[in-house]
Amino acid sequence: MATIGNNNINAKLVLLGDMGAGKSSLVLRFVKGQFFEFQESTIGAAFFAQTLALNDATVKFEIWDTAGQERYHSLAPMYYRGAAAAIIVYDITSTESFERAKKWVQELQKQGNPNMVTALAGNKADLEDKRRVTTEEARTYAEENGLFFMETSAKTAINVNDIFYEIARRLPCAQPAQNPTGMVLTDRPAERLQISSCCA
Amino acid sequence: MHEAELHDLSDDSDYAASQQQASGSIMRCDSGKSAVTEPNGSEVVYSKDNVTIHPTQYASERISGRLLLVKQGSSLFMSWIPYKASTDELGYMSRSSNSGPTEKDRSLYTIKNLPLTDVRSIRRHTPALGWQYIIVVLSSGLAFPPLYFYSGGVREFLGTLKQHIFIMRSADDANVFLVNDFQDPLQRSLSSLELPGVVSVANRASLRDSRGSVSSADNSERVNQETYDGSASTSEYSGRHKHKAYDPARDLSIQVLEKFSLVTKFARETTSQLFREGHNNGFSPYEKRQQNNYASPNLVGTRPNDAQKNADVTSVASDPLEFDKLPLVWGKQRESPLCLAEWAAFLDSEGRVVDSKALRKRIFYGGAEHNLRKEVWKFLLGYHEYDSTFAEREYLAAVKKSEYDIIKSQWQSISATQAKRFTKFRERKGLIEKDVVRTDRSISYYEGEDNPNVAVLRDILLTYSFYNFDLGYCQGMSDFLSPILYVMKDESESFWCFVALMERLGPNFNRDQNGMHSQLLALSKLVELLDSPLHNYLKQADCLNYFFCFRWILIQFKREFEYLKVMHLWEVLWTHYLSEHFHLYMCVAILKRYRKKIMGEQMDFDTLLKFINELSGHIDLDGTIRDAEALCACAGENGTACIPPGTPPSLPVETDMGLYPQDDDVL
Repeated sequence: MATIGNNNINAKLVLLGDMGAGKSSLVLRFVKGQFFEFQESTIGAAFFAQTLALNDATVKFEIWDTAGQERYHSLAPMYYRGAAAAIIVYDITSTESFERAKKWVQELQKQGNPNMVTALAGNKADLEDKRRVTTEEARTYAEENGLFFMETSAKTAINVNDIFYEIARRLPCAQPAQNPTGMVLTDRPAERLQISSCCA
Repeated sequence: MHEAELHDLSDDSDYAASQQQASGSIMRCDSGKSAVTEPNGSEVVYSKDNVTIHPTQYASERISGRLLLVKQGSSLFMSWIPYKASTDELGYMSRSSNSGPTEKDRSLYTIKNLPLTDVRSIRRHTPALGWQYIIVVLSSGLAFPPLYFYSGGVREFLGTLKQHIFIMRSADDANVFLVNDFQDPLQRSLSSLELPGVVSVANRASLRDSRGSVSSADNSERVNQETYDGSASTSEYSGRHKHKAYDPARDLSIQVLEKFSLVTKFARETTSQLFREGHNNGFSPYEKRQQNNYASPNLVGTRPNDAQKNADVTSVASDPLEFDKLPLVWGKQRESPLCLAEWAAFLDSEGRVVDSKALRKRIFYGGAEHNLRKEVWKFLLGYHEYDSTFAEREYLAAVKKSEYDIIKSQWQSISATQAKRFTKFRERKGLIEKDVVRTDRSISYYEGEDNPNVAVLRDILLTYSFYNFDLGYCQGMSDFLSPILYVMKDESESFWCFVALMERLGPNFNRDQNGMHSQLLALSKLVELLDSPLHNYLKQADCLNYFFCFRWILIQFKREFEYLKVMHLWEVLWTHYLSEHFHLYMCVAILKRYRKKIMGEQMDFDTLLKFINELSGHIDLDGTIRDAEALCACAGENGTACIPPGTPPSLPVETDMGLYPQDDDVL
């Protein structure tokens, strides 16, 4: 959930996606500017925080990096519950990882916060010669499902900061002019409304 | 034994006072009664009201009761009976579900007719300011929680004891009174006290009765030569069983002295740590809040609406006026690793491990030298039987090698075209290939491109996923296998060791997470038992699911220590020497080490998970093992009771449904 105070927004962000797609690598590139070719697998979950300056506001991302294997799926709701944003990551060299990304999109559409800002990241964009998922295919899917889409490379840092900045810009609370009451009105039940109302 | 000296306690004002009292032959008690003879021939020789136990630092959870010494024949018994919850307390309790002791808590702490022969020592604390209390330590090394004498009376208590039983002041600590260990205490430094010595002292009297031919000196010497396990000596010295208090089976699991020191540390830590930390280091917000509350106790539970709120911020630890230094004594000093000469001595001429318990104990306390791990791990993991011979093991290796090759050939024979129509296989192989290339690549054994050892990791894991198709491959398994292959340097042997490890830890990877949940739940119970302030903190911070310890437990701290230290820790855990679940005590020990920071900074779940993950590489392994050892010993049976049967790494309870219940998706 994103919360605001004095133009300082705290936003919970969760990374989901197939194992080996590069979730941890994206976070480490964004938070620490590091990249490891053989980044070890994530056991359980990891938590990071990083603040972005955005015009007259700052957005502090509280980032949950999750384990990718299907086996650990049952733990995921614990981490995406209440998240203001999600990055669903796939590996452009793996069609399986793209299929898995679609499953995550469906799950968030069913279970997640309806106002969640969701990004689709086609990672490992530096491996053009091994590409198996075309940019067009992914872009079309993203548009159909209301996601914003970028191809990224944690290795070369292409689009990594950009995707986080774009999420920050799209957070409802970061757009007070368009949403003067700070309330997001939905027809959801009250319980859901509480989760979705980022500025309440 | 020099009785005159034993009884000469004239340096002690307590005893001087008790002498005077005795001459008056009237016990001073709050109840106003003198010694009372009960119909059954037992006689209450001491009774004190308002003797209180502080199970947690919360004032609302203190339990008051009456302390009694009862004489029956020539035996003396101690009892502490909690009062029934008063209506006032009940009124408060009913408004606040998570504070205030329940009747169950009250009965949990009740001490009923404890024979003083079971008591090893009593430590008194008589601070100039604040409440006096005593800690009663049993011969087993375990102790009751501190008994606070709200109305004073520690002196009379010790005085009365002295009238009825032998009691001796420790040479090392004037506040420790030895109840059943008084052989030459002035000459024996407590810090060098070895347990066999205790046994020999303990049995001297009974041996004199039952085995007059054995001189005390002989006995003492012989017992000193024994290992602590004492199984050989038990039958020989049958006289020892006459004194339940000196049953070596109870004593020998861990050195009495160390447990004693720990108990002391322990009891005082839980009662006064919060305050002391605050005092020494400046108040953190959390502590300050508590302090403020402490300063205005009338806030607590005065109105129903406040009860819940106050339950979270109830007053700080009792005994805020006691500042004396905490002796930092942990479990047993770590030993050097098992060396080749020692290992050879554990084997008989045909290669059997003669005394497996002694071996496991040795490794528990010191680990093994690296070049011995290849042999020793096979026993610890259960791949080799302790009573197998060299020849049998050699034969087994050959049989198992061909068995491995058969299982491996199952997936090796899958052709590329067959694989195209075998999604499950491709997926599983893909998972494994993704993980092995990022497992311990900074270790020279696995580094570099096209490293053949990485391929061996893959082959073993893929073979395992056929050996145990239901469990398959799961992230974390490569972490377990990597050190095993590094040690074994042999594909088949590594595979079978990994199989043996998964027999116990496979449930960590169950799809429904039940293996992990049962361990996390047990951990929560252990923290509640061993550090209730921390438990209460985590409870109010909504962190009781202990998911922040998930990685620790799933792969047995593999990511928390450097490579060689992980191996050391694993062999310690695999001995199952003090507990099959020693890793859970390790978790408690680490959490306790950082409890001040966790509570002081009021970490929420996110912060706590981040903090715990970032502890990786910064945890003192030896110190933590010693803490965990001490915690395990202190928890005793209560700790065991926190861990339900079948909790990994206990062997799973088999069902007809197979070991790995799963959904449709077999990945």
